[in-house]
Amino acid sequence: MKELSLHILDIVQNSVKANASLIQISIEEDTTADTLRITVADNGCGMDKDLLQRVRDPFTTTRTTRKVGMGIPLLEAAATGCGGNLDIQSQLGVGTTLYAVFGLSHIDRAPVGDMPGTMSVLVSGSPQIDFVYTHTVDGASFTFDTREIRTALDGVPLDTPEVVSWIQAYVYEGLDSLKTK
Amino acid sequence: MKISELAKALHLELLTEPGYDDREITGCYIGDLLSWVMGRAKPQDVWITVMSNINIVAVASLADAACILVSEDVPIEDAVLQKANMQDVVILRSPLPSYELGLQVHEAAGI
Repeated sequence: MKELSLHILDIVQNSVKANASLIQISIEEDTTADTLRITVADNGCGMDKDLLQRVRDPFTTTRTTRKVGMGIPLLEAAATGCGGNLDIQSQLGVGTTLYAVFGLSHIDRAPVGDMPGTMSVLVSGSPQIDFVYTHTVDGASFTFDTREIRTALDGVPLDTPEVVSWIQAYVYEGLDSLKTK
Repeated sequence: MKISELAKALHLELLTEPGYDDREITGCYIGDLLSWVMGRAKPQDVWITVMSNINIVAVASLADAACILVSEDVPIEDAVLQKANMQDVVILRSPLPSYELGLQVHEAAGI
């Protein structure tokens, strides 16, 4: 995909469909190790060993409308194409964690893309789910956590249009402050 | 133009099994970013690409492309060909680059 944020949007849908109540997204950029690591961890239903083994195969999908599922295969191809790799750990009833590592400076690595837009789309699409997004650049980090926002909002739903645009602006500013550090 | 006619006209190498469903080709799409191709290649297109991993079979199947035409003699692993045979996806190959193949498809098939 043209941006890594599109991969994240796609992968997080798996966590949503797994009935997760908490989804933690992390992007870690490390210029010394020259890696960019994406982690998506959820507390959803998890996968059994059989599904876990088949999940990298593009002809594996839990969807019933068509036979192809490209989310994980495309992310794995993108990561391995940049000198990285993809790993998935899952336990039934506990949750699933997906790790994708990219060569940070690899010429084929897509840019991170629109994470503020991605977070606002995710939150407004599943306002009942809690999302934590942490972005780290060489040790300096920014965290967005809907659990904190929920407390501050005192009952106002997260998909209220004003809240959604605030989230987008908040994440944008948070990421912007990382660049200048 | 049928897949077999295009293969003959452009001297293409058939990598998947013979005896395939010889579909009519009505268009051509060139692209290597699979997520991009997925939403843009049309049914009955010949899809020209340099990509070779197993995901090309899924993308061709999803887009219902008539066949995949691999350019620049990119090597394709047996596992990919096996999957293509299972999914009735036809894979052809040529030493020519994608641009040149696109021109030749245009000339031979008038598309």
